[in-house]
Amino acid sequence: MQYNDVPNFLPALPEIFMSVICMVLLIFGVFKGNKSTYLISWLVILSLFLTSLFCILGPKDEIIFSNIFIVDDFSIFSKVLIIIGAIAALAMSLSYIRNEGMEKFEYPILIMLSTLGMMMMVSANDLISLYVGLELQSLALYVLAAFKRDTLKSSEAGLKYFVLGALSSGMLLYGASLIYGFSGTTNFETIQAMFDSNNEPSLGIIVGIVFIISAMAFKVSAVPFHMWTPDVYEGSTTSVTAFLSMAPKVAAMALFIRLVYVPFYGLVPEWQQVVILISAASMVIGSLAAIRQTNIKRLMAYSSIGHMGFALLGLSAGTQQGVESVLIYMFIYLFMNIGVFVVILSMRVNGVMVENINDLSGLGKNNPFLAIIFGILMFSLAGIPPLAGFFGKFYVFLAAVDSGLYILCVIGVISSVIGAFYYLRIVKIMYFDDPVDIFEKPNSASMISLLSISGIFTIFFIVAPTPLISWAHHAASSIIQ
Amino acid sequence: MIIQSIAFYIFAGIIIASAIMVISAKNPVHSVLFLILAFFNGAGLFVLVGAEFLAMIMVIVYVGAVAVLFMFVVMMLDINFVELRQGFLQYLPIGLLIGLILLVELILILSSQFEDPQILAVSSLPIPPIEEVENTKALGNVLYTKYIYLFQSGGLILLTAMIGAIVLTLRSRPGIKKQVIAKQVSRKREDSVEIKKVTPGAGV
Amino acid sequence: MEIGITHYLSVGAILFTIGVFGIFLNKKNVIIILMSIELILLAVNINLIGFSAHLGDLTGQVFAMFVLTVAAAEAAIGLAILVIYFRNRGNIDVENLNIMKG
Repeated sequence: MQYNDVPNFLPALPEIFMSVICMVLLIFGVFKGNKSTYLISWLVILSLFLTSLFCILGPKDEIIFSNIFIVDDFSIFSKVLIIIGAIAALAMSLSYIRNEGMEKFEYPILIMLSTLGMMMMVSANDLISLYVGLELQSLALYVLAAFKRDTLKSSEAGLKYFVLGALSSGMLLYGASLIYGFSGTTNFETIQAMFDSNNEPSLGIIVGIVFIISAMAFKVSAVPFHMWTPDVYEGSTTSVTAFLSMAPKVAAMALFIRLVYVPFYGLVPEWQQVVILISAASMVIGSLAAIRQTNIKRLMAYSSIGHMGFALLGLSAGTQQGVESVLIYMFIYLFMNIGVFVVILSMRVNGVMVENINDLSGLGKNNPFLAIIFGILMFSLAGIPPLAGFFGKFYVFLAAVDSGLYILCVIGVISSVIGAFYYLRIVKIMYFDDPVDIFEKPNSASMISLLSISGIFTIFFIVAPTPLISWAHHAASSIIQ
Repeated sequence: MIIQSIAFYIFAGIIIASAIMVISAKNPVHSVLFLILAFFNGAGLFVLVGAEFLAMIMVIVYVGAVAVLFMFVVMMLDINFVELRQGFLQYLPIGLLIGLILLVELILILSSQFEDPQILAVSSLPIPPIEEVENTKALGNVLYTKYIYLFQSGGLILLTAMIGAIVLTLRSRPGIKKQVIAKQVSRKREDSVEIKKVTPGAGV
Repeated sequence: MEIGITHYLSVGAILFTIGVFGIFLNKKNVIIILMSIELILLAVNINLIGFSAHLGDLTGQVFAMFVLTVAAAEAAIGLAILVIYFRNRGNIDVENLNIMKG
């Protein structure tokens, strides 16, 4: 055993760059104190942007660090998406954290560490590196959920998220230990090669897969492991909720895809049943439970459960087209969520945040710009053509139909119709109910521009969908041989 | 061989008994102590199969740091122990049932199906014979070379935990008097002592 | 009787079950829940070490080492969150974990 040669570090440049910047900014923050939060946030945004450039321009199709770290089109797609989510979440929370008196320089640093963990997750090619990346992002997220430490709600959200998250990590580990023991390796490609030759997997492997899929369902907040989502979304401060609903969802979904399509690709019939059940339950529960919500953050939690159900619908197809549709879906979902959370973050009345759905009444008269974009986003989330959200659902259904999952598609269409009810109810409240309170205008330029980007993307996606589709196609074809 | 078997059953029996006590003890302090006992015996199991380094780490990290941290928090939080145990029995039957089913399933699956396929051939990182390279050295050989990426990521995780614990629990309380040695040393005589001329008989 | 991998897996399975059981059974004390999580991780470690010895493969020990590292970090974060919850609430009763419902 000789390891004399220096490993090839270049493919991991984005991660190395980010971790170095993280530590530099941490030291800077320790010396400058909390008044430097604003500056550090912008520096974090800048370095995240540079990291995404490194991802796109860097080398690809390489496996380094003795086969535990992989860079391919799929990981690059997911990383860019994760970084977009993190930048948007940080940019929209700048004025919010100042107004709420939680201006601490650790906030942007923790977001950056969590983003780094997500990037490591989607580049994992080994059960150990998967676990390490997953824990890096989760630990930072637990802290962020409890970040407003002097309120009961936030600390309760943090505690719930921590206990259930740690339980799901335990399940993932138990599954991983079984996979390791019964296959003799932790490397994804070696596991895949085993199932190609050896057709009959042992029962231990199947139990391991079930444990791992349950843990992944927890991380993407799919039914029946969704219980934490509404409480954590409601309890965390809104800027953290915005982050939670964007980047970690993309990362967990990408990891889910890699797990079932690389190591367990030979076992499609085994995992397909489980994913179909999870998907159907998430779509139904997501749309039914959202109807009786009065809090906009809880509503968005159930909405995200439903949307994850739709994404899993594409995943359960078990084909390359399925992976492609999930990637397109996550991209569109992320951009719609950016706009929605900008609006939720601007729900301030006389300096106090409000989060009831009824507080939106009369927005159409008071703030037409906010109202029209929010309305469009709601139509898009409901999946009404010709907006972007429709195309997301369309490709997912197409992939599922091609794999013969007709019953699942019918369930999907029905829950999509039910879901349209509560999205359209918000539009009705905005335009036809009597106004109660007037929101303060979102004064920061970053929020206005994020809202505009989200709105423009949603409306004009129909004009030029090809670049995204071909990018997703490349990404999907890179993980399926 | 018989000694090994006896040792295994002693360690395993104590682990399981103390794990049950951890979740059912009336007093959280006792729970922590039983947790420590479970960790010690877990280390014993590790030694039995030749993972000495991990056994030592288990004792040092778990017993020395994690369990003490638990003990610290239990003591600090000043919990009312009497009312804590109420309602425990309420969920016991259903919980016991589910737990038993899960356990029986797991053991059935793991014990009946475990055969030895050709997986030994896949092993990418064989354990070197103990006469040539001892366990600690073998781990060290791969930890800083083959698994350098994981080692560095582990460092980042600990950094995150440190930042998290500080940002959540550190309170800056104003009005606390602290000793600042630099300030004390740099103090000059002129700053603190003033000589007043007092005329005799006139008072101050 | 020869002590084989099955024995180790059985101990791991029993410990895992006790840990999961402890999380769902305990309605009064969050700190016991955190200890149950530690028990689950101990179960995973016993599994990994057992498999590592059975396969003659060092990877399992490396995995177990990272599980130990992360478990220490997780305990620190969990206890920190517990402490701020206690500061805000005054007790650590799980049944009170319900100010948000819906």
